[in-house]
Amino acid sequence: MTSIKRRTLGALAALLLAGTIVGPSFGQDTPVQGGTLIYLEQQAHTNLYPPAGGFYPNGGVLNQITDKLTYQNPQTLEIEPWLAESWQVNDTATEYTFKLRPGITFSDGTPLDAKTVALNYDTFGLGNKDLKYPVSEVINNYDHAEVIDDLTIKFHFNKPSPGFLQGTAVIGSGIVAASTLALPYDELGDATKIIGTGPFVVESETLGKELNLKAREDYNWGPVKFTHQGRAYLDGIKYIITPEDSVRIGALLAGQADAIRQIQAYDEPQVIDAGFPIYAPGTRGLNNAISFRPDNPLVADLKVRQALLYATNRKEIVDTLFSANYPLATSVLSSQAAGYVDLSDKLVYDQDKAKALFAEAGWTPGADGILEKDGQKLDLTVYVSLPQPQNEGVLQLLAQQWAQVGVKLNVLAGDAGSRTLDLLDPLKTPVNVTMVGRADPDVIKSAYYPKNRDWLLQKGGSSDKTNFVDDKLNALLEGLAAETDREKRLAIAGDIQRHVLDEAYTIPFFEEPQAFATAPYVNGLEFEAVGRPSFYNTWVAAH
Amino acid sequence: MSRYIIGRIGQALLVLWIAFTASFLLLQALPGDAILIKFQNPELGLGPEQIAALRDAYGVDSPLWQQYLQALGNFLTGNFGYSVVGSVPVAHELLTNLPATARLASLGFTLAVIIALGLAFLATLAPFAWLRTAIQSIPSLFVSLPVFWLGIMLIQIFSFRLKWISVINPGEFEGLILPVITLAIPISAPLAQILIRNIDEVSTQPFVAVARAKGASPSWVLWRHVVKNALLPTLTIAGILFGELLAGAVITETVFGLNGIGGLTERSVRFQDTSVIQAIVVFSALCFVAVNLIVDLLYPVFDPRLRRLKGAPA
Repeated sequence: MTSIKRRTLGALAALLLAGTIVGPSFGQDTPVQGGTLIYLEQQAHTNLYPPAGGFYPNGGVLNQITDKLTYQNPQTLEIEPWLAESWQVNDTATEYTFKLRPGITFSDGTPLDAKTVALNYDTFGLGNKDLKYPVSEVINNYDHAEVIDDLTIKFHFNKPSPGFLQGTAVIGSGIVAASTLALPYDELGDATKIIGTGPFVVESETLGKELNLKAREDYNWGPVKFTHQGRAYLDGIKYIITPEDSVRIGALLAGQADAIRQIQAYDEPQVIDAGFPIYAPGTRGLNNAISFRPDNPLVADLKVRQALLYATNRKEIVDTLFSANYPLATSVLSSQAAGYVDLSDKLVYDQDKAKALFAEAGWTPGADGILEKDGQKLDLTVYVSLPQPQNEGVLQLLAQQWAQVGVKLNVLAGDAGSRTLDLLDPLKTPVNVTMVGRADPDVIKSAYYPKNRDWLLQKGGSSDKTNFVDDKLNALLEGLAAETDREKRLAIAGDIQRHVLDEAYTIPFFEEPQAFATAPYVNGLEFEAVGRPSFYNTWVAAH
Repeated sequence: MSRYIIGRIGQALLVLWIAFTASFLLLQALPGDAILIKFQNPELGLGPEQIAALRDAYGVDSPLWQQYLQALGNFLTGNFGYSVVGSVPVAHELLTNLPATARLASLGFTLAVIIALGLAFLATLAPFAWLRTAIQSIPSLFVSLPVFWLGIMLIQIFSFRLKWISVINPGEFEGLILPVITLAIPISAPLAQILIRNIDEVSTQPFVAVARAKGASPSWVLWRHVVKNALLPTLTIAGILFGELLAGAVITETVFGLNGIGGLTERSVRFQDTSVIQAIVVFSALCFVAVNLIVDLLYPVFDPRLRRLKGAPA
């Protein structure tokens, strides 16, 4: 709650500053049962296979209809019991034993038992080629699940997997019924087929237009430490797909909707001025940034990358385009994430230093002012990343800043196909927009390791056109994924953040939030650890 | 007449096959493919080996002719495959979206015709010359209104300010009012322009002068003599405007948050969702062919000179 409170206080402070006296009317404290929440989503959900929950619209649905084995407290980041009442981990983090809570049922009436949980994790951990299920990003080194008894399950890993416990709490680890996982992957875009144990059930759906959830009367297995137990307060939630920003905000302010997702920073004032609270939970992973592909000869030289880092006025970007909900990044990792180290001293804006470094690296201004070396111009290309907030604006401003030191940055939109292919070729895309949310240090390995997201495009990773490899970084990442001692693990996370900035691989801009707004009478809208909404505790006051 | 119709149906089948093949080839020529776009997407966070395994499972790297024959075979047996983006059968997406667009488009078109006729009559019959000129310039104004702007303005005024109509969660009929107006206004403009011009042209014909000389009132002349003759070119344009309707529907659907073929097409093209695009292309081709066939069959109804010697439709 601290983060939400902080944001709300921030919003209130902004209201006072703006001289407005109309505040949100948080009059009642006793939750009221009943009512259907009208929630406007910017985009329709796609595939609702739980590991596809990383896509915000998917996560926003899955978080209501599925539960997880464990609950990660968004304030403390501690793992608490949920569907599992207790668990044990062996010393090498290769065996995890979970004891399930008895009496839990899926919405189709089938019981939640060890067998079903085993099927879920075998699918998430290994994929299913026949049904085309991909594996889940958060489950590393998975071997198999062993059903000990009806309510006890043991997971075996072929290498230490210290991140697994947190992995059981993420949005991508919702447990679904066996009947859901018997369907081909290609049919899981139909929400009515996703059977979970969650506080809400899919009642009906019009593809691409609206989705109706209704509360499950017999729900009685929320996260153990919640004060609210039993069924959800709301009777239902109506998701309406409203792609147009002005229509979402206008409808909220005009009283046609109760809650909306996605408010751009420039639209925040009109929402706040109307006395409507904005929630901007952080996504707690790697910050919104750009990362270099050092295989490209233009950015292969450390001095060039460092010069580009010095030439980037990150504060100007954040101050010009964003609001207080988008804090300036002080490391590659979010300041709300476990293992974060404040590295602001490595993220300094200094044009003179940038120019000196370019000169040291042998780059001199050409006739057109653009830096040249051996007849080649320092001319870089980057693709806009549509899901990231105002990304085109960020990149255009960056291009202006870099132009001041003689570097040309071309900002491309491009069709999805060309973009995807070009991003696999370091020669075509020396720079890429990067960001990923997850509240566990494993996220750093996910981002940089060649067999995962492979942000730097290393040899042996996603691109067959690259020879770049950083053995030191990869060894650190492997160490992070395997270290079972928490303190040592966090220390490695710190070492990686330092290494990434010393090598100037990544220039982080800001800590990316997910922005929501509600009507003043909506209470108890909460967020899981990476900013997906949870409506279980939400209630609507008389208005 | 039946030979004529059989010939036209044969032509139609050929058009459909060409549309299918051309869209297949064009989609293949684009860089990347739907599977790559979907699974290389950072939202799933898959590693290179996992993506390779999925590409293999989907068979996207098999030879082109093999993929073509398979796609064609599936189509002929009524199996449209799965939408890669939506993760539902293509048939499911079409069944959800087609009726919605058909309703929006047909109502939009009907309203456009009513607006066009209204404008044309007013432009001809209005009492003062300055008023007639003013009315005649309305179509130029309508045609230059961007659909998205019009939609947002209508919403802001009638829904958010005046609160007459809900855009969010409206009733069945209520939800159609603003989108239909948004779609109809730009479509009505070319119809009205053509109609006004043709009314002007036909009005100068000798037979009109004869009718007037016989003492017919201006509205009688307009209804009985002029409009009948001025409708023919308008009908041709109406057939062509069908394409515009689809284009307008994309934007209208996005602004109003309606589901429909417009939005589906836009999304599918963006993500190169081949099976959906092909189904839409073939379906649109079918509509085009049908609309044009109907227009051709209607000509003789309006113009006796185009009637064949025998078996003319009544």
